[in-house]
Amino acid sequence: MKILIAGAGEVGFELSKVLSEEHHDVTVLDERQSCLQRVIENLDVLTVEGNATSPHALVKAGARQADLMVAVTSVDEVNIIASMMAKRLGVKSVIARVRNQELSRPDAPITPSELGIDVLIHPEESAANQIHQLVKRASASDVVFLADKKLQMIGLRVEIGSEVINKTLAEVAELYNELSFRVIAISRRGTTIIPRGNNRLMALDHIFIITKTEHVQQLVSATGHQNVTLRKVMIAGGSEVGRLLAKKLSADKQKWVIKLIEPNKEVATEIANNNRDILVLNGNPTDPNLLVIEGIQEMDAFISVTEDEESNIISCLMAKHLEVKKTVALVSKSQYVPLSQTIGIDAIVNVKASASDEIHRQIRQGMLLTVKALTGIKAEIIEVEAGKNCAILDKPIHSLKIPDGIVIGGILRNGLAEVATGQSIIRKGDRVIILALPQAIKKVEEMF
Amino acid sequence: MIDRLEKNKNRPRIDFKLVSGILGGLIFFLGFAMLLPFIIALIYNEASWDAFLITAAGSMTAGGLLFWNYRPQEELRMREAFLIVTLTWFVGSLIGALPFTLSGTLASYTDAVFETMSGLSTTGATILGGITSDGIQNPAIEDLDKSLLFWRSLAHWLGGMGIIVLTLALLPLLGIGGMQLFQAEYSGSTSDKLTPRIRETAFLLWSVYMGMTAVQFLLLWIHPAMDWFEAINHAFSTLATGGFSTQNASVAAFDSVYIDVIITVFMFLAGINFAMHFRLFTGDIKSFLGNREIRFFTLLAGLFIVAISGGLWLIDNYSFGEALRYGSFQVISIITTTGFGTDDYALWLPFTSFLLFLLFFTGGCGGSTGGGIKMIRLMIITKNIKREFRQIIHPQAILPVRVGNRVIDSKILKTILGFFVMYFIIFAIGAIIMSFMGYDLVSAMGASIACLGNIGPAWGEFGPTDDYAHVPYFGKWVLLILMMIGRLELFTVLIIFTPWFWKN
Repeated sequence: MKILIAGAGEVGFELSKVLSEEHHDVTVLDERQSCLQRVIENLDVLTVEGNATSPHALVKAGARQADLMVAVTSVDEVNIIASMMAKRLGVKSVIARVRNQELSRPDAPITPSELGIDVLIHPEESAANQIHQLVKRASASDVVFLADKKLQMIGLRVEIGSEVINKTLAEVAELYNELSFRVIAISRRGTTIIPRGNNRLMALDHIFIITKTEHVQQLVSATGHQNVTLRKVMIAGGSEVGRLLAKKLSADKQKWVIKLIEPNKEVATEIANNNRDILVLNGNPTDPNLLVIEGIQEMDAFISVTEDEESNIISCLMAKHLEVKKTVALVSKSQYVPLSQTIGIDAIVNVKASASDEIHRQIRQGMLLTVKALTGIKAEIIEVEAGKNCAILDKPIHSLKIPDGIVIGGILRNGLAEVATGQSIIRKGDRVIILALPQAIKKVEEMF
Repeated sequence: MIDRLEKNKNRPRIDFKLVSGILGGLIFFLGFAMLLPFIIALIYNEASWDAFLITAAGSMTAGGLLFWNYRPQEELRMREAFLIVTLTWFVGSLIGALPFTLSGTLASYTDAVFETMSGLSTTGATILGGITSDGIQNPAIEDLDKSLLFWRSLAHWLGGMGIIVLTLALLPLLGIGGMQLFQAEYSGSTSDKLTPRIRETAFLLWSVYMGMTAVQFLLLWIHPAMDWFEAINHAFSTLATGGFSTQNASVAAFDSVYIDVIITVFMFLAGINFAMHFRLFTGDIKSFLGNREIRFFTLLAGLFIVAISGGLWLIDNYSFGEALRYGSFQVISIITTTGFGTDDYALWLPFTSFLLFLLFFTGGCGGSTGGGIKMIRLMIITKNIKREFRQIIHPQAILPVRVGNRVIDSKILKTILGFFVMYFIIFAIGAIIMSFMGYDLVSAMGASIACLGNIGPAWGEFGPTDDYAHVPYFGKWVLLILMMIGRLELFTVLIIFTPWFWKN
């Protein structure tokens, strides 16, 4: 596939990397030479220097031949204009990042398609959604809804003192035979293990489980987590993510007590003016005095989403030290992700990763229904429909030769979801949930 | 743009020619309005017809000449607008007083001005029926010529929505700078503008006002106790939240539950922003019912009706029905600053009296014809107090003050707090002057707040069955200035007395 990416910022870079690794022909267009330099040095893609709103630059970057353009510059207006032009120039499908929500509203006077945009993405909103899910499910590090919310993939840390420690997965399955679940991956000290029945669980393992939504609760307590519901949330940083999260929480049926700290007075005032149910504090989120005055020790969750990822980690650590039950940090550098898990931050959210997730999903659309990259391990959750050419139909899974790096986690048939076991059989038209390591994703596409 | 600046360079700080020109136009209009009581005098064949004719002709000539000589050509500036509005109301009262004097009804010109200002400012305090400080017996209300009674009510009606707003609506002569004049006279916020052009807004507001007056007139007229003359006078007085009646005993003279209810309902409606009434009539029920000020007004009125009627029933030993009837009428009459009476509240026991006294410090909604502090200000001040308490607990929190979904800007908040403080200072000054003249505490405070708040009847020697005739002349001038200050919402008048107004 020929793909044109306008904007070589963080999201553009991340995306180019993922797509080029998947053997797409990627051209990156940006007017900042320093950004392009970084792309050339690190990735196997073509770069073109030029402004995304210039038709000449677009043509030079191959807009006439491209199958897809992704406009991810930092400016909404540039992305919109680039999309309009690209569509005129013959790009088949266009994805644009637009932060302003006016276009995406159902009552929008001008729809995105009228502007040549096929898919709008809003990475900050996806990140906010992700945090929202995490706060609702107190103990999990990841929550992914699958198969129309009938199944869930959750990430949990095996706490010290849990009864599953030192047991093989087969023994664990025996112990909880009334629950249907499947451990699909284990992350241990930075390495990802695709487990078999004889793998043993260790304390502080980070495990990923596919299970029925109604069984989540029991599994959470099985891994040694107390059953907690959160009520008081402190959000550090009135960034786009923080703002959207606060808005989502205050729109929830459940009544949250929300405090948001923002150092910039104007930004803080604006947030306070637009959100009735949020207590907005003007101060530095890393200032311990402010945190103590505002009762951080009584908080159930502390979510740090400032632009400065180091201070996000620091303030989350501070919160953890004061025994806040759940801490979530916004971290963009992928190098920090394993680190933060080990030092005790409960969950990490990465805006760039969620942006490339979203785009990824759009690129593979048609065949694959859900694509979700997991934080902490290099693997993706894919939901796919079994077509008639599918190679693995009508046989029990244990008799199939499944390639390395692929785990079948669940099956949805006629609206009924089940967790896959060795005896499960995939039929035509089923929706299959798969965990795949990056090198195996191509094979998934071949299988189905 | 530049050449306009060039032209403005040579303009004086306050362009008195322009001020006189527009003032002339307004006086002309006021004289024109006085032809209505002249017609009434002709219909009833009363001797006062010549008084009205002379005043009307005189002011039309004088006003017309001024306007003709100094036709407004320049753009009006805010300073000139303040001056014009204040002068219009003051000079308007001086002129409107003439028929009382010329017809020989009132011996004292001060009394005549007091009565007219009380009319125009929709206060409803009267000097009729009393004995003045130098021993002159003023005629009782019932003994007055019908044309003069009509003029009193008409003054209410003109002043209710505003003389200038009316002129803007009817005559194109104030085309230039109409917005500034509108702002200086109108009590609502400028976001009440209903149409892009101020003239149309003024016209719509007056149409709603006139329509509601007509409906009330018809509803009163069908009751046998009222003839058409009384119905129209009471309709004028109610919609303007004035309080002048054609009877010395006020509305109590009719002693009819039906009339009480009609007047209560229309007083309440007159206490609501007329821009909201317009929205209601155009079918925008949602924004009417969703309006926070209207809700607050309704809630406050409801609470006081329950408390006062309950007090009258349980403490003052009224029957339940009477307690509700008199209680609700009196609450709405005072909260909207009308000042009609169906019961002598001066005779109520301490608890109910005190509750009613509190209502003297309220007022209708912004943009209504009511005077006083106004609901929107009380509401914002209450919310601000709540906020101050929260701020103590969360010193670094940013806590906006909200009315509905609108955030009140801190600038507006300061203006409102300033208004509040100023209001009490002026109230105190008025009360001090009255006490200096020998009035007791309750009477002095009552007279001051009843005039400043445009209510009318007060307490003690100014109770609902008493009058203002016995106040010394100087005191009457003080009170009538208070009425004007209150009607024009303090700043329009007070700014003229600051040094900054006259300096650059």
